[in-house]
Amino acid sequence: MSESISPAIEPKPGHRVPAPAVHEDADHGGHDEHGHGAGPHLAHHFDTYQQQFDAGKLGIWLFLLTEVLFFSGLFCAYTVYRGMHPEVFVYAHYFLNTTMGAINTCVLLVSSLTAAWAVRNAQLAQRKLLVLNIAITIACACTFMVVKFFEYQHKFHDGLLPGPAFHPTEQVWELDAFKKKHPEAAEYAEKLTQLAEHKGDVSAVAGAIDLTRPVTGKFERPTEAQLEPLLKAGVIGPAAEDTTRPSKPRNAHVFFSIYFFMTGLHGIHVLAGIGVWVWLGIRANKGQFGPKYFGPIDYSALYWHLVDLVWIYLFPLLYLIH
Amino acid sequence: MAAPSTTVDVVAPRSSGSDNYLTHDKGVLSWIFTLDHKRIGVMYLCSVLTAFALGGFFALLVRTELLTPQRTIMDHDTYNQMFTLHGAIMVFLVIIPGIPAALGNIIMPLQLGAKDVAFPRLNLASYHLWIVGALFMLSSLAINAVDTGWTFYTPYSTTTSTAVVPAAFGAFILGFSSIFTGLNFIVTMHKLRPPGMTWFRLPLFCWALYSTALIQVLATPVIGITLLMMIVERTLHIGIFDPMLGGDPVLFQHFFWFYSHPAVYIMIVPAFGVIGEIIPVFSRKRIFGYKFIAVSSLAIAFLGFLVWGHHMFVSGQSVLAGTIFSAITFLIAIPTAIKVFNWITTMYKGVIHLDTPMLYALAFLWVFTIGGLTGIFLAVMSVDVHLHDTYFVVAHFHYVMMGGAITAFMGGLHYWWPKFTGKMYEEKVGRVGAALVFVGLNVTFFPQFILGSRGMPRRYYNYLPEFQPLHVLSTLGAYTLGIGFLLTAFYLYKSLKSGKTAPMNPWGGATLEWHCSSPPPYYNFHKPPVVTAGPYDGYENLMYDETISGYVPRKEKIV
Amino acid sequence: MANDDTPQNAEQPKSMQGSSEETPTIAPEDDATAPNPAFEPTEQDEPEQDEQADAVSEDPQQGHEKHEDHGLAHTMPIWMMLAVLGALMALTILTVSVTSFDLGSEGNLVVAMVIATIKAGLVVTFFMHLFWDKKFHLILFLTAVLFVILFLSMSITDRGEYQHNIDLYTNATTPAVGK
Ligand SMILES: [Cu+2]
Repeated sequence: MSESISPAIEPKPGHRVPAPAVHEDADHGGHDEHGHGAGPHLAHHFDTYQQQFDAGKLGIWLFLLTEVLFFSGLFCAYTVYRGMHPEVFVYAHYFLNTTMGAINTCVLLVSSLTAAWAVRNAQLAQRKLLVLNIAITIACACTFMVVKFFEYQHKFHDGLLPGPAFHPTEQVWELDAFKKKHPEAAEYAEKLTQLAEHKGDVSAVAGAIDLTRPVTGKFERPTEAQLEPLLKAGVIGPAAEDTTRPSKPRNAHVFFSIYFFMTGLHGIHVLAGIGVWVWLGIRANKGQFGPKYFGPIDYSALYWHLVDLVWIYLFPLLYLIH
Repeated sequence: MAAPSTTVDVVAPRSSGSDNYLTHDKGVLSWIFTLDHKRIGVMYLCSVLTAFALGGFFALLVRTELLTPQRTIMDHDTYNQMFTLHGAIMVFLVIIPGIPAALGNIIMPLQLGAKDVAFPRLNLASYHLWIVGALFMLSSLAINAVDTGWTFYTPYSTTTSTAVVPAAFGAFILGFSSIFTGLNFIVTMHKLRPPGMTWFRLPLFCWALYSTALIQVLATPVIGITLLMMIVERTLHIGIFDPMLGGDPVLFQHFFWFYSHPAVYIMIVPAFGVIGEIIPVFSRKRIFGYKFIAVSSLAIAFLGFLVWGHHMFVSGQSVLAGTIFSAITFLIAIPTAIKVFNWITTMYKGVIHLDTPMLYALAFLWVFTIGGLTGIFLAVMSVDVHLHDTYFVVAHFHYVMMGGAITAFMGGLHYWWPKFTGKMYEEKVGRVGAALVFVGLNVTFFPQFILGSRGMPRRYYNYLPEFQPLHVLSTLGAYTLGIGFLLTAFYLYKSLKSGKTAPMNPWGGATLEWHCSSPPPYYNFHKPPVVTAGPYDGYENLMYDETISGYVPRKEKIV
Repeated sequence: MANDDTPQNAEQPKSMQGSSEETPTIAPEDDATAPNPAFEPTEQDEPEQDEQADAVSEDPQQGHEKHEDHGLAHTMPIWMMLAVLGALMALTILTVSVTSFDLGSEGNLVVAMVIATIKAGLVVTFFMHLFWDKKFHLILFLTAVLFVILFLSMSITDRGEYQHNIDLYTNATTPAVGK
């Protein structure tokens, strides 16, 4: 079992300091064909590059495990809230910008490719290509953050904030996305709002949107095309914040809480990734990586793919609600 | 078993004097930025013991306040803060890092035969994070100490005026410290085993740390995100946990206990590991049922993830979930009992030496059995309705945490103290200390079982006069405990100054750490040891040498 | 037990993974300007240097991605990376375009999640090398997924069970979020 245990390496306190292999003992002589002295990147407590690489790889996988479970809390909150309050998600989806989300998805996927490619470059000691691929990865990550910034700015501007700060500047039925999908319902909601606001006829409005009551006076019973989308979006009916007139659904702000929390935490991971890639880019430019020592590139790429993985789920969950 | 337990590059059984890890480098900075697992472990040990003193001090204040049914020494708000700080410090700063990060950091690589842990920098980072987390937690004390209880339950934690955020953020950081330790240990045990050190030759302490590390890695991230969400809820009112904003406080409890039930196994499983080391050595007998003990640690780690809802039987959790959680909770009694029975069988017909570590191990068996069995009462849903949030629960988890984890920690501390420091403590005083702790423990917490079953609720400042005699008894027990620990601190400190030089192997252990000098050399092993036998084999090949007060290999091996 | 990870079985790398498109070079095109200390030979390293040189001359013949046991880890061919990216892009377009169809109450969500899971599978299998990696890493990853499922399923099941209590409460009180 002692095939490739190295001979004792002369203790050196400074860790990554290159320590030449010292052949102390004849017992081990026969097993030393490889003659792996401690190279410049082999830490003192590892015997071989393979052992060091495998330890790092297991370590990063365990770290990814913790990342998956770290995000799981948010996915749990999302699922619970979506399961119990689907109307809030229907309501919120009219406010979302699918294009920006899709662009960011593609940007991250490309960066995942370049990260995987960088690993290959490091393994094959292709220094220039390695630096190039890291640079593209960083560029993609920055693009992602810029797009994210504009998205956030938009949301802030429109009052789509988490918690008590949630004051959308537009009602959902005033949005183009809603009007395009449900023109009749939008018109109907508009009419009801005007009636309640300008004529102060709240009880008539309440009667019109409460299907359990008989319709009085001014309104005909609304058609299903008018009513259904509004009910689904929680604008009217039991889920609405104000049951006497069209309004936003109760606690709609929680969607945006979850949205900002999830994308924000993901964004922090992207920023951390940028930092790591910049550091590795500098090291790669110095030519520090090669077939025996490419662990840091490989581990960072794994981390980066996990960040991508989280986004792969966030995108449909937050941007593609039907 | 004819073979000696291991063949190591045996240095003469001398001890300190020449180069060892304590004397290898000098200066404060050589400690603060050391990458040596033993030094990091020593720093962890000092810090954990300091935190333990602080947490114990708060406990004594709480017990003193409870001497009378009304105000004794502090007002009710201060009382709430005191028991919260006691709980938070003891859980996050003492028990969770106590055995793995302090004792384990020093011992595990030695037992394994490795030069260091797999990631020395991460190990150091873990310790630095511990310090930062502890500072955050204590800053809460300076601002306006948190009063939520260590559980940070919403909605109270998101609405109280005390400094919840620093304390919770401290716990968040401490979580990462714990994750890094666990991650490091798993990789170390996978990748740094020397030739011949197969999985089933790992000492049981390593098995226990491995199971613990799995829990640390899988569960701790969830408490991280939970506390983060709670902090954001408190500062930005995002409405995930606060019912006034559409949130769900029961969901918080699910999140919290998904970590915090497995966390009680982060606290107790390493204790099992320590006991598994002490009992065979002081019985001079091979451990009975090694594989069962080893694998039962993994079983406990796994089952521990399936039972978190037993903390929520009366929290508004559904009956369905409660039933499932209750049923699975009973299952945990099986692997736990396997361990206890195997330890007892190991002692059967052994040559039992009642040294201080063994006294702590025997104390552990007693108190842990009581603590474990009362846990089964609480797992029964209908009984729990009566006992929930009473002193019965307080007594139960103190029997397990204090009586189990801390007793084992003390046992391990005494067992490995000669190895850590190269000095022997005064054995007779040590036994007195162990006896005081054992008596104090039972006098403090046994009356609480009675109090609880009679309806005394936990965390109350005032109580009915009929409960006073038992409360006074409990407080007297706490003082006894305090005296026991003070005595221990005193003689351990004294041993550093004037203790006898420790031999290489004072107790006759066969695991690899006893093949290093005391204290171990900077590099642990000059050559990777080649392991040829199990960790508890070959006691018959060791003999006691009175001239050095320690065990040495027999000249002629018994075949 | 020691399936994947006994360090003593670790094989010292003899050569790098060959690839179909490029000849792997130990001394890359730009190596003259920046010597690579990662494999810069020290005095004692001469035999290894020779081995590596041998390996380079042999490798192009070995040529395919099946030889994952060479080098410290598997090297992924470029065509495969590009193909995976293509598939991921195509699935992204698919998942966006499928949103405009109504597939029943939860139909859209299910389809979106299935597509996301396929994408995640591609990333994990190829980009993250799990296809060639140690099985233990796969087990770890699946463990994470399992525990997430465990966590979510119990929490959500319970929430579903007591939801009616919350509804009773919310319907009995005035909506909380103010203007
Ligand atoms: Cu529990």
